[in-house]
Amino acid sequence: MSEKQQPVHQRPLQQDWANREYIEVITGSIKKITDFLNSFDTSCRSRLATLNQKLTELERRVEYIEARVVKGESL
Amino acid sequence: MASGDKVTLTNALENVDVLDDLPLPDQQPCIEALSLSVHYRADFDTNFEDKNAFVTSQAKYTEQATVQADLNLILEEGQEYAVMLYTWRCCSRAIPQVKSNEQPNRTEIYQKTVEVLQPHVNKLMDFMFFQKKAIDLFCDEVRRLCHREKRTDFVSEAYLLTLGKLINMFAELDELKNMKASVRNDYSAYRRAAQFLKVMADQQAMQNSQNLSMNLATQNKIRDTLKSMLAEIQGYDDLLADVVNICLAMYERDMYLEPAEKHMLVKVMAFGLFMMDMEKGPNIYRMNEKKKINLAKIDKILKQLEMVPLYGDMMIAPYNYIKNGPNFDPSKWPACESSQPSPQSNLLGSLELIRDRHMEYISQLARQSNEANTTMREAPRSDQENRQLTELALKGLRLLSRWTQQVMELYSWKLMNPTDPHANKECPEKAEEYERATRYNYSTEEKFALIEVIAMIKGLQLLMSRMEAVFMDAIRRHIYTELQEFVQKFLREPLRKATKKRNDFIRVIIMSVRDTCVDWLRGTEPVDDPALIGKKDPSDGFNIKVPHRNVGPSSTQLYIVRTMLESLIDERAGVKKSMRKEMDEGHVAVIEEFHRRSFFWGYLLNFNASLFNCCDLSQLWYREFFLELTMGKRIQFPIEMSMPWILTDHILETKDPSMMEFILYPLDLYNDSAQYALMRFRKQFLYDEVEAEVNLCFDQFVFKLSDQIFAYYKHLAGSIMLDKRFRAECMSAGEKISYPVANRYQTLLKQRHVQLLGRSIDLNRLISQFVNAALQKSIDVAISRFEAGDITGIIELEGLLEVNRLTHKLMGEYLLLNDFDAMLKEANHNVSAPYGRITLHVFWELNMDFLPNYCYNAATNRFVKTKLTFEKDQKRDKPPNASVHYVWGTRRLNHSFTTIYSLYSGFIGAPHFRTICRLLGYQGIAVVIEELLKTVESFLTGTAHDYVATLMRVMPDQCKLLRFDYGSPGVLHYYQATLADFIQYPDLRTEVFQTFKSIGNAVLFCLLVEQALTQEEVYDLKHAAPFQNMIPKPYIPPKEGKDREAEAKQVMKQLEKKYAALKVVHVIEKLGNKTQALIAKDGDLLTRERLCCGLSIFEIVLKRIESFLTDPLWHGEPPANGVMNIDKCNEFHRLWSAIQFVYCIPIGDNEFTVEELFGEGLNWAGCVLITLLGQQRRFEALDFCYHLLKVNRVDMKEENVKGIQLKKVVDRIRKFQILNNQIFSVLNKYLRTGDSEVMPTEHVRCFPPPIHQSMATAI
Repeated sequence: MSEKQQPVHQRPLQQDWANREYIEVITGSIKKITDFLNSFDTSCRSRLATLNQKLTELERRVEYIEARVVKGESL
Repeated sequence: MASGDKVTLTNALENVDVLDDLPLPDQQPCIEALSLSVHYRADFDTNFEDKNAFVTSQAKYTEQATVQADLNLILEEGQEYAVMLYTWRCCSRAIPQVKSNEQPNRTEIYQKTVEVLQPHVNKLMDFMFFQKKAIDLFCDEVRRLCHREKRTDFVSEAYLLTLGKLINMFAELDELKNMKASVRNDYSAYRRAAQFLKVMADQQAMQNSQNLSMNLATQNKIRDTLKSMLAEIQGYDDLLADVVNICLAMYERDMYLEPAEKHMLVKVMAFGLFMMDMEKGPNIYRMNEKKKINLAKIDKILKQLEMVPLYGDMMIAPYNYIKNGPNFDPSKWPACESSQPSPQSNLLGSLELIRDRHMEYISQLARQSNEANTTMREAPRSDQENRQLTELALKGLRLLSRWTQQVMELYSWKLMNPTDPHANKECPEKAEEYERATRYNYSTEEKFALIEVIAMIKGLQLLMSRMEAVFMDAIRRHIYTELQEFVQKFLREPLRKATKKRNDFIRVIIMSVRDTCVDWLRGTEPVDDPALIGKKDPSDGFNIKVPHRNVGPSSTQLYIVRTMLESLIDERAGVKKSMRKEMDEGHVAVIEEFHRRSFFWGYLLNFNASLFNCCDLSQLWYREFFLELTMGKRIQFPIEMSMPWILTDHILETKDPSMMEFILYPLDLYNDSAQYALMRFRKQFLYDEVEAEVNLCFDQFVFKLSDQIFAYYKHLAGSIMLDKRFRAECMSAGEKISYPVANRYQTLLKQRHVQLLGRSIDLNRLISQFVNAALQKSIDVAISRFEAGDITGIIELEGLLEVNRLTHKLMGEYLLLNDFDAMLKEANHNVSAPYGRITLHVFWELNMDFLPNYCYNAATNRFVKTKLTFEKDQKRDKPPNASVHYVWGTRRLNHSFTTIYSLYSGFIGAPHFRTICRLLGYQGIAVVIEELLKTVESFLTGTAHDYVATLMRVMPDQCKLLRFDYGSPGVLHYYQATLADFIQYPDLRTEVFQTFKSIGNAVLFCLLVEQALTQEEVYDLKHAAPFQNMIPKPYIPPKEGKDREAEAKQVMKQLEKKYAALKVVHVIEKLGNKTQALIAKDGDLLTRERLCCGLSIFEIVLKRIESFLTDPLWHGEPPANGVMNIDKCNEFHRLWSAIQFVYCIPIGDNEFTVEELFGEGLNWAGCVLITLLGQQRRFEALDFCYHLLKVNRVDMKEENVKGIQLKKVVDRIRKFQILNNQIFSVLNKYLRTGDSEVMPTEHVRCFPPPIHQSMATAI
């Protein structure tokens, strides 16, 4: 930056553009991270739901089989 | 990452970029509105805090910025008071009242009243002070601007707009204050208590309290105060005219984005005109004549928007301000005065257009979003692309805003134009106000239109929000480039001209604009720019390279630039020193264009906020105004009157397939409202109320949805199962049995994380739960129906179980359902008990109905009901009263299937036995047969035994086979005479026959069930055969010179090879583990050997019955001659011969035949007993009837013996003889199976010829 030719009052403005661009980059990145977190959230919920479903299924089966087996013992 | 490690910015950014590469699959179709767990919004609006940094801007504008910043703070504060007023709930109603002056706890009540109300009263007090402060500030500003010296100065558009916003605020606060009676009531309650307790000690407090009382009690206090204060300012009307005109101009040129801004413009126009209209002084009609304002245009706008939404259900009717003006002249307001309905009430008219726009925009967006998502960019986007994306973003925001406006405007109009029982027949006479404004106020089409538009808004919002990162990047880059191109390149021309013409004023402004926002390449201004000294560019051009950055101007920067440019081109009347004329027309046009476009930059740079403001539909739920109107009768309205639920429920009720996928959008309105309650209203109780309603609605929603999904699939399954020819024949007879209209429930069923009030809901799971229960109930209903009827119902039961199985299969594709067989077992109460309800009922019916009441006929192989029953009618449970979708699906299907199955209700035959086999299984059949055997045993040792004993006593001691000489009439006569006592035995033809029939029926049942079971088993085996390497032998045609057997072997080998992949054992051995292979082998063996040893149920049954016949009664005394009894009647077969004689005698015309009453079960019982007692041969040889037949064969006589037709008797005997023979052969087939192999020849005991005693001794 050739500061000699730059009028003094211009320098902060010029610097402001650079600073704000920097802030935008950071903001943009935070935005990306939030976007990621949000999609991670939905994705996890979807997978957890599937897992939950499988567990429920197993649980019910065990329950059913238990009920069947108990019959065998009591007779 | 180890702590202490330094991460560079580049590294950090790379890490963020890498996040994009992580796959985050989500399988669910997107039919939901935008719902973010984390909502990130960066707000860079400084409210002019950084104005001093822009030293190069003109002092005048920085000063204006300062004032604006102050006014903005006032606006914010005003907003808070507006919220306070709107959400005010009456407290005093809940506080106990002091009833009389003698009440002992009266002081305590007053103290508590003051304590409770104090914080609220403080707020009201602040509100009063705020009114004064705001009005003063506003009037000061107006006074300053209307000062004679200042009047001609340029006032920026942004500034006038801020004044407009203040006017709007006054109008809103005034309306809210008028509306809330509860505020006044609360305050008077407080004041009463405070005065009693003498809380307000000092003079000032008393005064303030008095003032507040007046302030609250006086209607239109704010606007009247404002008006009277303005009236004292010279020339205020011109300034207000400017404000009104700028609002008009912005409204006409669509210079607004968010719905609230549009509504603000309209309110400012109306309220502004009201302020300018004085009894003595300014008069808007005169101003109109002077063309200072244009009433004709405003007239149209006010008609377009008769009702402007404020908060929730609060509206402002702008035209009312005009009407209340002192100089009101209706003739100047033709549109507003006309009785035509306002266009805002008509959403349906513009629906087609909305759809087209939506489709068009979605396609454009899809193109961009696909490109952004799928392609990796090598180079950054070009300026052109950035511009396109920016325009696309703006277009989207404006569309969203437009649709939101239309929804909200329709809603407002409807609220203020409630229906009544005359207009809407469905509206009851007693419907309350809010109900008439919401529930009954929309036609079906309007509700659908609302749902559709809301769905478009929410759907598009989601899509645009997903594109936010792309949009923001493009927007910032585009705005930066646009701005820098403008200031670095374009502005050189006007600058050169101004310099040349030595117009310092313009030059200073342009330089100031340039310096405020220029961002030179590498921070260096180009040296020796000829434009700066008014000279021409060199012939090869003066090249300036504009840098690229990913950042827009700051809010203050943008404001300053726009305002200064505006001052250059301003042409408003009253401004004298217009610089516009000094400038080149071309330049002015470009600057104007830039000024117009840059208006939206602020919105675009705050894309996220704009997007949310444009889609805000939260106010559809709020109803504080109507609640206030009920005067405390209602704490809250029921969900049936709540817009979000009305819309959701409408979809559920109509089941419109095209709307079904929209169903989550109206529910999302609750999210909006809850968000608004928390973030804007900041009222816990409102959130709680929303939440309570959501809890209620969501339960209803899941219930209704699951129920109709279940009904839909049941209907589908029922339709699939219905016989096609039956359907076709019904069709030709004019009865249409329709399939269900295809509906898109699948999409809904795939929803695993629906966001509602911050909770994530697995819709699939909830529906699964419900459907599981419904299926369970459905199976239960099927079994209960069976239990309520006779055994023929077993066919319908199987059909019902099948339809449920099919429903289960259809839904199992989308939902997690319990195993069907497990469910069936549960419904059948068969999980832990060895036999279920079906088995029990089958047995019950067999015992109670089948054995006593059915008659077998071998010709049809069916049982039919007896003509005359000897048993009491069975009392069965009542059939369950379940709704149609728990049975076959629809009323019509129920009717069809009932008709079809009624064909099976008149008899019991092969289909029933097959069904019994399938439903009961081995275990069930074993139980039933075991129990039947017990019944038979009880007969044989009980009733039957007793009857036999009795009858034996009635039997003659001897009964001979008469010689042929007597002739058949003689023989008949003889038997009749001999058996007279027997024949006359009273219970013979009823109870005795009935008992034997029951035994016969039981035996027949066992026989037929085994036959059916065998058929089922063969089916099973045939189905299993291909997997067990059992291939049918192909036919090899005989040919000369060929070995047929060798060829057959070869073909078989080929076939074996071909189907090798089907061999289960082989495949499992190859692919599974050891245990699996073992199981497969065992299974295979079990299947293979199932029928091998040829065990027969029936044989065992007979053997068991044989074992019951131990009593000597059955066998009689051993023969005296040591060989056999011939004439003596002490064996069972003799008894049976007598019985047979009885039923062979023909009957009268009006009597029922034995066949009709008892069927062949009777014969079977006799034959079985005879066979099992080993008396078959003796029976055949010595039977009375057979003898009669033989004699008749010889003499062929047809006489009438004592009223009995001999011929008929003989015919009957012949018939029964054939029948008996058949039965004996069947029995022998079963009983002799084992013997035939072991003993091929029958053992005959040979007796030597009888020798005379005299001879014997001689030898």
